[in-house]
Amino acid sequence: MRAHTEKRLVFWLFLAPALFAFVMVILVPFGLGVWYSFTNWSSSPRTGAGIAFVGLDNFVRSFRDPSFLYSFTITTAYTIVNVALVNVVAFALALLVTSAIRFRNFYRAGFFVPNLIGGLILGYIWQFIFNNAIPSLGELLGIAAWSEPANLLLARSPTALLAIVIAGTWQYAGYIMVIYVAALENVPVELHEAAQIDGASPWQRLRAVTLPMVSQAFTITLFLTLVNSFKQFDTNTSLTNGGPSAMFMGKPIFGTELLAMNIYNTAFISNDLAMGQARAVIFFLVIALISTAQVRANKKREVEL
Amino acid sequence: MKKTYTVLATLALVAMLMLGCKAAPATLTLAQGKPEIDAMLKAYAAAWGEANGIEVTIKSIGGSSNISLGQQLKADYAAGDMPDIFGINGPEDYKEWQAIVADLSAEKWVAKTSVAFTYEGKVYGFPVAVEGWGMAYNKDLLDKAGIDPATLNSFGAYEAAFAKLDGMKAELGVDSVVSMAAAADMGWVTAHHNFNSLLSNGLPYGDTSVADALLAGEVDATRLAEYADWVELLFKYADQKVLTTGNYDSQVGAFATGKAVFLHQGNWTDPNMAQANATFAMGFAPHGSMKAATDGIFVSAPSFYVVNSESKNKKAALKFLEDLAMTEAGAKYMVQEAGMIPAFSGISLNPAGQLSKSVQEWSAAGKVYSWNQYLFSGDFRDKTLAPIYNQFANGAIDKAKFVELLTDAFVSRK
Repeated sequence: MRAHTEKRLVFWLFLAPALFAFVMVILVPFGLGVWYSFTNWSSSPRTGAGIAFVGLDNFVRSFRDPSFLYSFTITTAYTIVNVALVNVVAFALALLVTSAIRFRNFYRAGFFVPNLIGGLILGYIWQFIFNNAIPSLGELLGIAAWSEPANLLLARSPTALLAIVIAGTWQYAGYIMVIYVAALENVPVELHEAAQIDGASPWQRLRAVTLPMVSQAFTITLFLTLVNSFKQFDTNTSLTNGGPSAMFMGKPIFGTELLAMNIYNTAFISNDLAMGQARAVIFFLVIALISTAQVRANKKREVEL
Repeated sequence: MKKTYTVLATLALVAMLMLGCKAAPATLTLAQGKPEIDAMLKAYAAAWGEANGIEVTIKSIGGSSNISLGQQLKADYAAGDMPDIFGINGPEDYKEWQAIVADLSAEKWVAKTSVAFTYEGKVYGFPVAVEGWGMAYNKDLLDKAGIDPATLNSFGAYEAAFAKLDGMKAELGVDSVVSMAAAADMGWVTAHHNFNSLLSNGLPYGDTSVADALLAGEVDATRLAEYADWVELLFKYADQKVLTTGNYDSQVGAFATGKAVFLHQGNWTDPNMAQANATFAMGFAPHGSMKAATDGIFVSAPSFYVVNSESKNKKAALKFLEDLAMTEAGAKYMVQEAGMIPAFSGISLNPAGQLSKSVQEWSAAGKVYSWNQYLFSGDFRDKTLAPIYNQFANGAIDKAKFVELLTDAFVSRK
């Protein structure tokens, strides 16, 4: 009996520091955040603005705000395109660097390097490429259309969104590639040999052997890309900063303001911290729901050897 | 045994450090939003701090980084770490912090300035400097084209001048007539500075009647139509690439390198001109947002230092501001080091930049119009107006729609 108590005491003592940190930096701020989303909190001593409970007002107003609905729509579109593109590119790169080409270790390192550049800096680099490098190249090659101001990717909101996808893919594909490489190298060679003897073409082998065998990797990569796309903020800020504008529900609004940026702008440009917090809560629920659904769906397809 | 000593020694050291912190010398924190004067202000503050036995910390937020001073202050306030002196831009900011802004009416420097921030008859803000904007022009190019900048003071004059210059682009070696920016991050050029033409051009200094009417949702259609003509003219003769996708550097760069005749910016671009080795003669002409002649440019203090009334270091903060305005060292820092136009009388130094000199001349002649854009909230300017200008600049909407959207925005402003 005594040994048991001592064991439990030791258990909790060792757990205490980590638990304390977790409670203080995760649970308490999270709980506070949820509470603030039901108030009119503003974090400034504006006269006559004490904290008051306002119920669901912030949530209702959020769903009536065209800019929030628009951000939701384009973030979904962005996520779909970005998840698809990052994974296709990453998988293709992984196949490339696990095949028998020369300098494959060099390529592996090369494709991974963009991931080491911070998203903010990367956005500025790509802004320069889209706004200056491509037009200059067009002038050099005599292709006038490339330097036409109206044709610049960042001049129209749908193409500007695509520009964020391109910059995001360039950054993230190398990282996802590494996960695929690890998975591809774990596919037993015998399976491929057996299929080859049975007369399977390379395409059939990819579909019937490789893909099912790396489905575990898909669970991880899809989760990572999905969550990352939804949370896109830094490249968004530095590359487009929400622009150019677009019309939505009869109102001119920022055309590439993804959800994270919309939350930020609501809190800090509109000075409506409580409403920003409410949107962050909605944001959290959506990400949690979608990513749980995705992991479940992917788990079902995993193959155990 | 040895271990016990180590532990004891460590504990003692930690305790000493903690005590040391408590016995630290007096401190003063100033948070301001002009990163371009960061180094100079820090040097001045260090020298002042040494002389007064106070450790001064300067936090500069804004400019190229994506967080503004207002955002940082909110975070600081939430963290209970509010600076002793901080910058505000105008009435909207003041209302945000009203409860902790100290009344400075009794300070000595108040008598020496006409641009202090006042609210309901009391002085609350120390003017950081005087700034101004109009249409910055390249005098060399205008001379070549045979245009006298003194004649540029109405919409008609600009319309004729722009058309003439546009026809001489190859001759003058320019890409465009005017360097204007209207991209999403350049909303402060359109929805703050240019917007102010609508609010105060041609009105007596301090007259807020147009802004007040718009705030009440009453739109003067004639004034707005004339203003829309002006915006259209600027957008039409701008380099489209700079206009729709350019940033501050590309906008100012086009003018500094002689690739544009006009620049829609203020005298804060002087350091950029020096960096780009721009040697041509330049100055400011009034905006042409009205058919009638408007003889003046927009001049005011861009930001004000306010003192945190809850601060323990209030005395030091007041002395810091007083010395900045009243001592020779303060004047030297403001004018010679930071290159700003001082907001106080009794300072005989002059800034070196040509555009700053031009602002000083307009100001000395009394030909100035006020900055009324701060009467509108940042939210309204940045999130409602900026996209409307951007739509117009992109060619997504025409002038009639532009006027309609602006009118809607004023009428439905919450």
